[in-house]
Amino acid sequence: MSKIVRHPLLWTAIVLAILPWLLPGANPFVGRAGFIDLGTTIAIFALFAMGFNLLFGHVGDLSFGHAMFFTIGAYATALLTKGFNVTVGGAKLAWAGTDSFIGSILLSLGLVAAIAFLLGRLIVPRSSGIYFSMITLAFAQVIYFITYKWDAFTGGEDGLQAISRPSLPGLPSGFLNESWHFYYFAAIVIYVALAIIWWVIESPFGSVCHAIRENDQRAEFLGYDVRKYRVNAFFISALFPAAAGCLWTYYQQSITPDAGSIEYSGRVVMMSLLGGIQTFFGPMLGSFIYWQLQNDVAQITKYWEAVIGAVFVVFVLIAPRGIWGAVEDVENYGFRSALRRVFSRRARVESEMSEEVASQAP
Amino acid sequence: MFLALTLHQFTDQFINGVTLGMLYILVALGLNIILGLMGVINYSHGSFFMLGAYVAYSLDPIVGFWASILLAAFCIGIFGMLFESTLIRPLYNRIPEYTLLLTFGTALIFEQVVRRIWGDDAVRFELPEKFSGTLAIGNSQFPLYKDVMLVGITIVVLAVVWFLVNRTNIGMIIRAGTRDAEMVRILGINMPMMFTLVFGIGSFMAGLAGALAAPVYAIQPTLASEWVILTFVIVIVGGIGSFWGAVVGGLSIGIVSSLMDLIWPPAVEMTGFLIMGIILLMRPRGLFGVEGLFE
Repeated sequence: MSKIVRHPLLWTAIVLAILPWLLPGANPFVGRAGFIDLGTTIAIFALFAMGFNLLFGHVGDLSFGHAMFFTIGAYATALLTKGFNVTVGGAKLAWAGTDSFIGSILLSLGLVAAIAFLLGRLIVPRSSGIYFSMITLAFAQVIYFITYKWDAFTGGEDGLQAISRPSLPGLPSGFLNESWHFYYFAAIVIYVALAIIWWVIESPFGSVCHAIRENDQRAEFLGYDVRKYRVNAFFISALFPAAAGCLWTYYQQSITPDAGSIEYSGRVVMMSLLGGIQTFFGPMLGSFIYWQLQNDVAQITKYWEAVIGAVFVVFVLIAPRGIWGAVEDVENYGFRSALRRVFSRRARVESEMSEEVASQAP
Repeated sequence: MFLALTLHQFTDQFINGVTLGMLYILVALGLNIILGLMGVINYSHGSFFMLGAYVAYSLDPIVGFWASILLAAFCIGIFGMLFESTLIRPLYNRIPEYTLLLTFGTALIFEQVVRRIWGDDAVRFELPEKFSGTLAIGNSQFPLYKDVMLVGITIVVLAVVWFLVNRTNIGMIIRAGTRDAEMVRILGINMPMMFTLVFGIGSFMAGLAGALAAPVYAIQPTLASEWVILTFVIVIVGGIGSFWGAVVGGLSIGIVSSLMDLIWPPAVEMTGFLIMGIILLMRPRGLFGVEGLFE
């Protein structure tokens, strides 16, 4: 019984169900649309960050370009819904548009799967560590410039507007235009994706990934093909940002090249670290904190990004395990010991030495 | 479209590319020294470049043109040393990725600080009258500052850095530290101080490049992120920790992207990434890179 009560997926479901009410100041009877919108943003970015963190937190590869999968998913959805008419090298390509959700999510996932499959085989075996971070960043920039420059197809700098939300079978058309309805529709899709992430992390595959994160040489010596696991993890972690991008387009009903920019890639990195990279709930919590902070600070100053940057820097310096990591520390070592880990450099270094330097040694 | 390309246009763009490439080299070499010796991926390197440009712009009315450029570079160098000793130093016993995370956060802060002080819009750093002329070589006219002075100064700085790295004791320590920092420390070298010094040199170069670029390019808060990504690309193409890698990478990307402006303008921004893709397929560690560094 207690196993079910403590099951993370149960808590994920509960949190997604009541998220719009969880937000400070939320009152379901007064001005709830604003909180529904914030809640939708948090939920979609939670999925995006969870997908990213599958690679960073659970395999140890820091990708600084996951926004490319997000933006590909988003543009695939936008173009499939809206239709396009473009001439590529003499050939005329045209599509009238559709309002099928299944179609757009399959296209988003399929397109990203193809790209991640090729890219994974191209860059993952050739690079690790900081090379990997810089190369993913550079490839994301290529996608960004394509969406930014290809006016005829992607709308260039202005992006694509007036994208209608999908119609669901059995429900009246325009059902999802109500932000309330859309939140719960998105929440169900996101929940399914998060359940898959949970299943991946808890599977034998996830255990090997953790072993690679802790010490890739030992994992290699134990007979695991580290390269293959890293390629596959890269592939899997690219799919969730694509689904998030698909929902993001429907939610915004427009899409601009910004979705593929370095800001978006960096955003999920920050969310994951704030929440706690080596935990299941971390990125979700991080998404909540990031958007809540943005929402509050933006009302005080237009330089809110500096505040978020400063919070992030403090976390990198003194609490790299994030908030949920600190919660787990309290659970495992007791409150005093956990506090000591935050404020005593020595205790922190000792724990990090055992966890990280070991994996770095040549 | 190739037929429309005259020799005159070609040389013009080629020389533009050399100028741009020189600035790329300065920025990339600074980043590369820091990365090669310390394993610090300094995402704020582009911010230092941008700050160099802004500081020079602010100092120009007070101290004059050349002094403002030199002072700006020194300010950024000292600022870089403070930055390293306060924020980067606690991260040395962690994996290198954390330095990327930290400097990404500080880059966000720097951008907002710049917006707060100098505003969101681009500012113009006016070149003094006497340098805005052109120099005639043969039939062609070259802008005096952009194509002659800027390139000349960069070559001098590169020569000094090359001498420093390859012919002095400090350079020997830096090169040895790149191979095996722990061994160098055991030999009694004060590595934390060397790290701070190297970070200062790298920041100085970024600040100098920014100050030199200020009269030529529009100075705006988005400068930092544009430049830092290109700098990463140059470092990857050239190879981490390699002097000549940064030189060849910076110059080739500068020239090819300038020429791309004649061939197919929409692809200018992508040139660097395309070159990177091709190089990576053939040489995963870059042109001059060695295997096993920071992996």
